[in-house]
Amino acid sequence: MLKYLFAKNEDIPAGSAAIFWGFSSIVWFVIGTGLGSFNAAKLAFPDFVTGNEMFAFGHMRQVHVHAVIFGWISMAFGMAMMYITPALGNTKLWSEKLGIWNAFLWNVGLSLGLTLLWIGMTSGREYSDFPWFIDLYIAVFMAVPLAINVWMTVLTRRTQGIYTTNWFFAAGVFMVAIVFIVGNLPEWFHLTGLTEAYLTWWFAHNVLGLWITPVAAAIAYYTIPKVTGNPLYSHRIGHLHFWSVVVFYSTPAAHHLMSAPLPEWLKSFASVEGVLILVPAIAFVSNIMLTMQGKWNMFVENLEVRFTITGVLLAIPLNMQGGFQQTRAINWYVHGTGWIVAHAHLALLGFSTFLEGAAVYLGLQTLMKRKLYSLTLGNMHFWMLLIGFSIYWTSMTIAGLIQGAGKIYEVPYIDVVIAEHPYMIARWLGGTMVFISNVIWLYNMWMTAREGTVVPAGRLPHEIAYER
Amino acid sequence: MAFIMDNPLSTTNSPEQNELDKKLWEAEDLGGITEDNNRMPVPVVWLLLLTVLTAFAITFPLWGQRPTALIYADFVKDLDKPEIQALSDAAAIEKIVAAHKGDALAFQQERHPVTMDELRALKPKIEELQKNGADLQDYTVVGVDIVLANFEGNFKSGAHEIPAIIGGQLLKNGERQRHQPWWDDGYTIDIFYVCLFFLGVTLVVKRLPPSSWQPVHGHEH
Repeated sequence: MLKYLFAKNEDIPAGSAAIFWGFSSIVWFVIGTGLGSFNAAKLAFPDFVTGNEMFAFGHMRQVHVHAVIFGWISMAFGMAMMYITPALGNTKLWSEKLGIWNAFLWNVGLSLGLTLLWIGMTSGREYSDFPWFIDLYIAVFMAVPLAINVWMTVLTRRTQGIYTTNWFFAAGVFMVAIVFIVGNLPEWFHLTGLTEAYLTWWFAHNVLGLWITPVAAAIAYYTIPKVTGNPLYSHRIGHLHFWSVVVFYSTPAAHHLMSAPLPEWLKSFASVEGVLILVPAIAFVSNIMLTMQGKWNMFVENLEVRFTITGVLLAIPLNMQGGFQQTRAINWYVHGTGWIVAHAHLALLGFSTFLEGAAVYLGLQTLMKRKLYSLTLGNMHFWMLLIGFSIYWTSMTIAGLIQGAGKIYEVPYIDVVIAEHPYMIARWLGGTMVFISNVIWLYNMWMTAREGTVVPAGRLPHEIAYER
Repeated sequence: MAFIMDNPLSTTNSPEQNELDKKLWEAEDLGGITEDNNRMPVPVVWLLLLTVLTAFAITFPLWGQRPTALIYADFVKDLDKPEIQALSDAAAIEKIVAAHKGDALAFQQERHPVTMDELRALKPKIEELQKNGADLQDYTVVGVDIVLANFEGNFKSGAHEIPAIIGGQLLKNGERQRHQPWWDDGYTIDIFYVCLFFLGVTLVVKRLPPSSWQPVHGHEH
């Protein structure tokens, strides 16, 4: 892949950039979940790896979080954009070479940033823990080139209309650039106090709401009609979904700070918008579910559809939790507990990961024109990922409720730690299952590239999934 | 692209524009994907309506919002009364609360019960604020601390000498022009915001051919 860095754009085979992004994302997923498993082990077994501050939980947690968000999720998005955006415009990617350089610089920057976090150089701001110069690098060498490639591909399309997926992609890369630049102002200009707190959570909320959520949803708008052959149920509901994401997801940042001395009107405003996050969720889930009419057998039979629909179904508990846990009445109880950790994993490891998994499975097979090496390993990956995630989510939700009760009734902290210990072990087991499933996935995709059956011209990989 | 308002709940396009849109819709191949023009199912519309109502109902500050210092101002005055000082703490707080049952702030006082120890700790702080002419509604009680928390409300600025007349009264510099009541912390903005959103989306989808028309997708995907 690196040989294309200095090749002429026209000499680079179509899809090369997407393949680079796709394999990078899986490798980061393995690294990110491996670190997650390590961190969970430290919480379950306090004597596990002590004596070296670089392996302390405070160091390793940030590396895990950023490896997953910027490595796995964002690079899987880059992969999806590199092949879906041109496909929907009946055109080629604007610049394969820019795409390959972008993936290369993404991997270099992320490796550097994670190393700095590992040795303890951090801004200490949730989801934006990288030091300011790495943030600048991310904006200039990672986010902006991706946005340029996506926008230019949309602008040079050979269709008059723009399909729903590409609205979300084009808006997503634009919004994340704004979120990144504005959200990191406290680091570049040393803003402090409530301003910093508010901007930190404005960033953290919107990197989820204006990047991960809409782009993950956009993948479902592509994979379900593409694989099932059904038309998207409603272009009109797509409009409601798109605009409600932009309007209702961009405003509730203050609901992360319900106990802070922010103006009460801002918290109330944010809290109402927080519940209204259910509007895009309802639009999205209903549109995809209705698109599946007559093809529900594929939920069982087809791997990409199963990944996609699982992600879509997980959007229901995700948004029910997200909408209501931020209201004053419930936030009082769950704030600062493992419930929130469970919710974050429901968003990133549940809802979005299953959608990204579908994009990477479908994209890599389509672009490499090779059938999946082993459907059995693919199924094993799906079930281990789902069961591992479910164990994690359930155990952390219960642990969070215990912590909430301990907080409210002022139970001594050490008693709460003892009470939640079994759930910390369950969390480690679930997380480790997720990690192992991803190692299997990496092997399966590697073998697909090397030994997968060549897909005949004019056919799609999923059409021949059960043919020997 | 003019708006035709003959039947705005169906479409605001002209018939000619709708015909062009329909042709494009059926002819265009977006990477092998097509779209239908279905309207949102009625039960989902009801679900959305319920969501909007719930959003306002559940965030209304009956629960979880911190008390303002104002609701304890009359309580702390009672602390100096000999008949209160003669009672045990439990009986004293009961008597104080009972004495203010009919007050305008009774509802909020009931939502935020307080102990005698807390009142004793709050007393000098509230009196200090009153001495300085502070508006106690702007201050929030956090445990036994009182912090400035409501930044809402415009003050007549001294930067220019243009007189401000609000509600028929001429304001002096430094006087408050508007004060948000405790029950309306952000809700008027939300109502405005939500209404504009649904109006905007309605305008967008009514630029499509009516939902009674469905495209015929003539090719396999």
